[in-house]
Parts: sequence; C-alpha cells; structure tokens
Amino acid sequence: MKELVEYMAKLLVDNPDEVEVTEVNATRSVIFELRVAREDMGRVIGKQGRVANAMRTLLKVAAAKQGKRAILEIV
Amino acid sequence: MENARRSVEATGRSVDQAIERALEDLGAELGQVETQVLSEGSRGLFGLGAEDARVRVTLVESPSSPRVQIGEEPWPASGEVADISIDVVRSLLQHMGVNASVAIREVPEDAEMPVVLDVEGEDLGILIGRQGETLRDLQYITRLIVSRKLQRWVNVLVDVGGYKRRRERVLRELAERTADRATDEGRPVTLEPMPAHERRTVHMTLRGHEFVTTESTGEGRHRKVVILPKRGA
Repeated sequence: MKELVEYMAKLLVDNPDEVEVTEVNATRSVIFELRVAREDMGRVIGKQGRVANAMRTLLKVAAAKQGKRAILEIV
Repeated sequence: MENARRSVEATGRSVDQAIERALEDLGAELGQVETQVLSEGSRGLFGLGAEDARVRVTLVESPSSPRVQIGEEPWPASGEVADISIDVVRSLLQHMGVNASVAIREVPEDAEMPVVLDVEGEDLGILIGRQGETLRDLQYITRLIVSRKLQRWVNVLVDVGGYKRRRERVLRELAERTADRATDEGRPVTLEPMPAHERRTVHMTLRGHEFVTTESTGEGRHRKVVILPKRGA
C-alpha cells in the first residue's frame, strides 16, 4: 500500500525526492501520511481534490486486497 | 472518441450554476470551453414565474488536460504512448496487489485518437467499483502519470473485462429507446441517476437527434438525464 502511494506521488510531482510517505497503524485502519514539496501540493491534491480522491480510490483497492482499511492524508 | 468537439446544454438557477453543471457533464474545466448564454433566466416574483438560466457549453480542448508544457519536440508516436501506458497500468495494479494482465486494444493511427488498454483477469469487480467509479479513477491517475512522463496530454482509455464496452452499448440502447418513448408520448422522460461519464454517453448518443434534446437535472449523485421531445416535433 505504501509503495502504491509512493509510486503515484513520485510520478505526479516535480520534486520526487521530496516525496515522503509515513505509515501510521491505527486499530482498524492504516493511515498513510503523504508529504510533498510545498509547490507540489496542487499536483497531488488537484482541483477540488480530484487527484487526491483518485489516489484514495486506488489505495482503497490495495487495502481491500489485504482485508484492511486505509486512509490517505496529505500533510 | 473523447477528443471530438462536444457540446451540452444545461440549466440552473443562475448562469454560473448552469455553466458549472455543463462543465461537469463534459468533464471539462472553464479554460477548455466556449460558453453561450441561451437564457439569463429570471427570479420571478415571489418565486412565481421564475425561469432557469440556460447555457450551451462547447468543449474546444480535450478534458482533464493537465497543465503540461507543450515542447518543441515532435509528438511521440502512438506506439510509445501505448508502451508507457501499459507499463504504468501494470505498475499500478502490481502495487495494488491486483493480479491481472494488461494488453493494448487499439494503437491509434493518429495522435488524436485514444490508446485503449484492456485489463483482464479473475475477479476484477474490485477494479470497476460502484457505477464504474474505481475504473474512472484508475484511468484518471493513469492519464495524469502518462501525460507527465511524456510532457503532453495523452488520451488513454482503460477498460476492465470489457466493462466500458458493455456499459456503453447498454447506455446507447437505453438512450435510443427512451428517446422513442419521449417522442411517442410527447413528454419528457427522466432516466435513473448516473455518474457524469455515463450521462455524457447518453448526451452524445442523442446529440443531433431529430426529435429529442437532452439535459441533466439534480445535484451530485442524484444528477440524471432528462430526454425531452423537441417543440413542434
């Protein structure tokens, strides 16, 4: 799941080296915190959050495959 | 297909709202369209005689175009788009833990035509999602990534287990049948709510129809297509 978020984020931003994904395990779900360079925020969020939401959809599939729930936060 | 010049009519309480709805139907943004105000609408008096604003919005640029620089270099051949697209979809699926194969359905002859990828495998309902929403997002992320890799907007369509092909055929038939009904009965007929890309298929199927016009009403998930007999038809 983490690799999926990293893969997508790195290919969407101008500064792939500054992409950082941290995994936080909560009781029932896994939270992925995505950090990118300030000027790349728009690229991973998109207009009205469209890019972020599309990434969430794919992450949801990856999580479901492992019987888990995953949350993506852009911080 | 998705690159054709397209146009929809929409109504709303204000001109802005009507334009917003039309943009949603086209899957486009303001910078990619020409808008024509057909009626400013009026508030009426105490809500009486109020009339919706009506606009016609025409797409002049492909939808979902990311802001990439178009360089001086010649456009890459479609084969290259296909190779990169297959690679991206395979990587996405692999990272998602989905076991499926990806093949090219069509390598288009010119750069304006979409590259169509077919994802095949067992148990792929999870990639389609409710009303095809997961598939739509998979296609969107694929387009963004491939476009960034190539530094220009590319039109890539992703289908899973022939879902889109089937769904499109069903929607076209539904559109034609409902148009006949609206014409026969001489009254508007409203379809079930459906997502934007499916409403688009209905609008496109009936564009230029002799006896009916189409529009969308309702908000968000409840938005649906209405098929109306043309006046005097």
